Amino acid sequence: MSDFILKVKGLSKSFSGVKALDNVSFELKRGEVHALMGENGAGKSTFMKSLIGLVTPDTGEILLEGKSLTGNDVNETLKKGISMIHQEILIVPELTVAQNIFLGREKEASGKSGLLAGWLNDSVINTKAEQLLTGMGVNIAPKAKMKYLSVAQMQMVEIAKAISNNARVIIMDEPTSAISDKEVAVLFRIIRDLKAKGVGIIYISHKMDEIFEISDTITVLRDGKYIGTKSAFDLDRSSLISMMVGREIDQMFPEPSQGNGEELLSVENLGSNGKFSNISFKVRAGEILGLAGLMGAGRTEIARTIFGLDSFDEGQIQIKNDAVRIRTPREAIRKGIGYVSEDRKGLGFIPRMSVKDNMTLSSIGNHRKGAFIDQRSEQSATERMIADLRIKTSGTHQKVTYLSGGNQQKVVIGKVLLASPEIIILDEPTRGVDVGAKFEIYKLIRNLADQGIAIIMISSELPEILGMSDRILVLSKGKQTAMLSRAEATQELIMKYAVA
Amino acid sequence: MKHNGIFAALFAATLLVGCNQSKTNETGQEGSGKKLVIGATMLSMQNEFIVNVADEMDAKAKELGVELIIVDAERSALKQVEQVESFIGQGVDAIIMNPCEVEASSPAIKLAMDAGIPIINVNSETSAKPTAFVGSDDTESARIAMKYIVEKLGGKGNILMMHGFMGQAAQIKRDNGAKEILKANPGLKLLAEQSGEWDRAKGMSLAENWIQSYGNQINAIFAQNDEMGMGAVKALEAAGLKGKVLVVSVDAIPDALQAVKKGTLDATVFQNAKEQGSKAVETAVKAAKKEKFEQQVLIPFQLVTKENVGEFLK
Amino acid sequence: MNTISSSRFGKLGQYGIFLAFILICIVLALSTPKFFTVSNLLIIGNQVSINALLAFGVTFVIITGGIDLSLGSMVAVTGVVAATFAHPDTFPLLVPLFAGLAAGSAIGAFNGLVITKSKVPPFIVTLGTMTIGRGLALILSKGRPISNLSDAFNFIGGGNVFGIPFPIIILIIAFVICSVILNKTVLGRYMYAVGGNEPAARASGIRVSNVKMWVYTICGLLSALGGILLTSRITTGQPNAGAGFELDAIAAAIIGGTSTSGGTGTMTGTLIGALLIGVISNSLDLLNVTSYYQQVVMGVIIIGAVVLDGLGRKD
Repeated sequence: MSDFILKVKGLSKSFSGVKALDNVSFELKRGEVHALMGENGAGKSTFMKSLIGLVTPDTGEILLEGKSLTGNDVNETLKKGISMIHQEILIVPELTVAQNIFLGREKEASGKSGLLAGWLNDSVINTKAEQLLTGMGVNIAPKAKMKYLSVAQMQMVEIAKAISNNARVIIMDEPTSAISDKEVAVLFRIIRDLKAKGVGIIYISHKMDEIFEISDTITVLRDGKYIGTKSAFDLDRSSLISMMVGREIDQMFPEPSQGNGEELLSVENLGSNGKFSNISFKVRAGEILGLAGLMGAGRTEIARTIFGLDSFDEGQIQIKNDAVRIRTPREAIRKGIGYVSEDRKGLGFIPRMSVKDNMTLSSIGNHRKGAFIDQRSEQSATERMIADLRIKTSGTHQKVTYLSGGNQQKVVIGKVLLASPEIIILDEPTRGVDVGAKFEIYKLIRNLADQGIAIIMISSELPEILGMSDRILVLSKGKQTAMLSRAEATQELIMKYAVA
Repeated sequence: MKHNGIFAALFAATLLVGCNQSKTNETGQEGSGKKLVIGATMLSMQNEFIVNVADEMDAKAKELGVELIIVDAERSALKQVEQVESFIGQGVDAIIMNPCEVEASSPAIKLAMDAGIPIINVNSETSAKPTAFVGSDDTESARIAMKYIVEKLGGKGNILMMHGFMGQAAQIKRDNGAKEILKANPGLKLLAEQSGEWDRAKGMSLAENWIQSYGNQINAIFAQNDEMGMGAVKALEAAGLKGKVLVVSVDAIPDALQAVKKGTLDATVFQNAKEQGSKAVETAVKAAKKEKFEQQVLIPFQLVTKENVGEFLK
Repeated sequence: MNTISSSRFGKLGQYGIFLAFILICIVLALSTPKFFTVSNLLIIGNQVSINALLAFGVTFVIITGGIDLSLGSMVAVTGVVAATFAHPDTFPLLVPLFAGLAAGSAIGAFNGLVITKSKVPPFIVTLGTMTIGRGLALILSKGRPISNLSDAFNFIGGGNVFGIPFPIIILIIAFVICSVILNKTVLGRYMYAVGGNEPAARASGIRVSNVKMWVYTICGLLSALGGILLTSRITTGQPNAGAGFELDAIAAAIIGGTSTSGGTGTMTGTLIGALLIGVISNSLDLLNVTSYYQQVVMGVIIIGAVVLDGLGRKD
């Protein structure tokens, strides 16, 4: 038996003439955590889908323990030992934990055959699920309904399912994108246990810190091509980024330029029942105010309240020293506020509409003749914005759903900008955006500030907050715990106040 | 909270049921002081002919001084059976049923019989035999209409037939009657037959399409009801063929009578709603009082043409 | 990365229904010489007009992610209302027209109001309105057809202009106006936005409730136009007319590529959907196929269209 559990040779796949994968090779050892890196659109997801049988490659070969997997469908690859923990967790919310773990395998799980196998036996699967979960060292009741579990717990259930499937290869697609640091620690412990048992893990993430913490080997893809495989010890952050982006990034964050403009937004003693209270801050033209804090600290809730998506019951909001009442996003936009939501798919854009239609959605009033849309003016405004923001799209009529994460984000920013805001709230502006596009978005934000726009930026990535903000407001459990200047702020200091 | 919702629903339901029932005014009757109560369930109060039958039943009940409760089965045999059940529960003296379906309404007959309450079918039949039947024989109406066509065409020509909803008692019987006459007159050729679902707009579309297919070959159209017949007339008029094609239908609704008067519809067959309604109530009252009654009251059809249409127009 | 393949498939889905329509027409023209004649095509246009008008209305609604089941009942109510004012030598022609259209718009606006204020799903609200509307039609007409309508009124559904049936002319005008609303106006853009992602539309500053109010009102107005056409065509206001029309209209929209999940759909697609339904029922009559088979064929086409739509959207 060789050390390699999975070998992929010369995998290629084209969609309508566009190469999504171009001669990619890959090797996974027993008990190895192998990170797969690449910008959005580099071919990671097509690669994963080929492994689990969702996509049939044009050429190439996939060998699991020396046996060819090519041509198998999802069910067959699952049976043969490849499991995937999806980014968007696939569960049946109304079923219990145990029922979800053994979904589709009730007959095998019940240990009966023939006619009797059709009878569901919950007590058998409950016991089995209990053993699995305790074996993993997590405390989840097998009889609990899935819908009452946290995202992290659901993930554990998915992993339990993979283990019960006797998986020898587990693919994890951005497993930490929606869970807390504490939960990440539990996940990593489980990953290490799996490693010790000889399971091979393919790990996908955008978070560099994690990659270096958990992975043994790193393979980089770019534009569908295999770029290289290196031991995690031999790589550092910047060399990994340059492999992914194809160029050196010397300076991630643009130079700050302290804004001293007039005070545009002032929030006084803002409070909303149970979500946050006593929030006061001011933002000046040309200034970037960072909002830092842990998940659930109330950052997004404050942003939503200022933008009129939620109501508040204490305090007041002033724009240019005028007290304003904002009850709907429409009123907020009219008063010069723009909001780029963290929930890009839910609140940011309309997937089936074109780049142009999305971009002018908040500002169609500037391109109308009576009830009609002035198509020419709309078109030219969109083209200008595509050029300004360097959006990669096949044209103004491309549907936004087909763009990469970074370009989708730029479309949303473009929509906000076309409504000529004076104040912009950016909520996790680089979430799910690849490294190259991140850099561009940072430059863009700084440019906007330099043009005299007041910016509030919410981010969970401390380097980003530190690199971009002129001042940093730290929140903890719905209360503001510190206002730090750029000079005094450090990661340690922010964390201290964030957990206060 | 939840209870409130349920109560509201119940309350609304009670109101609706209340609206569905039309009670005759309460005048005393005979010496005994106890007034007879008759329950009636009708096929559909959205159908003009049925509404006419019901109106006459109401009038007759007033005249005889009995209380009449009329409910609408809304074309649902299940609902009809439930309505008969609740009549039995209320202890009515007799039940009049205008059946929704031949088979599916039959259980109601058995329920009433078992409870010892006389049940009278009006207008159409069930497979179970009721206490009495008041109505007309649908087969006969089609015979009358087709005989008129035979006479007018001199026993030779091409015919089209529009059916009602396939499978309903009236459609089956009218089909049987028409086919009987066609068989007896080999000179008549049935070019095509199709369902117009008793509906005027559908009948019109059907006739338009037939005109495309058969054009000048068509000599006559027999429609199983006036609504479809009126549709056929409209289509023929639009195509400029009305003068050449004979249209005959059944029911003698007011619109059709007007058309006969104008000469656009050649003939219709009068089914006497008034007689059916009043005879049904009369029979029910007799049965309830255990007096002698006829088990089968057949109201004759009458052919309506331009010559005699005056008698039928009010 | 798979952008190109996906968008190309999407277009194929839309052209697919058009190609299917052409193909079916060719087959029919070959199987009966009576199909492809000017007079038969005019008759199909005439027969299709009412369903197409309703389908245009419901296309707007479905694009915003809603549904309207009250179309058929609105046809009955508006027809009865119009007929009430359309007796000869009573009111000028504008009165019945205005009364019918106003009644339809009012019921549509009622739908919109309840849906936006109560947050009850449109399916349930319009199911209720469907029953209310049917009841209103029966109350207003006392359960009997209203006949004896003026010649001017009967011209709407039965007259010809330069040899073209008037309903076809109304159909073409309505098609153009509806297409313009959908493609060229701010309202149309907002409809796609609301159906495509309602929270995002709201966060973009769109007054979602206003858009919905408009959509249901327009749908009511078009139903009223359908109701007036039907009443005029059969020269009576029938309280039980239009039963089941909503399903034909929804079928036309879906066959034409409007997705019931909202956010997509075109008037051209809906028009083709309505024509397809009309052509099939016309030709099956010409071929003397019983109505039983017509229903089976129609069902197969509806499912086929949605399957095609699903294939087109697969990424």
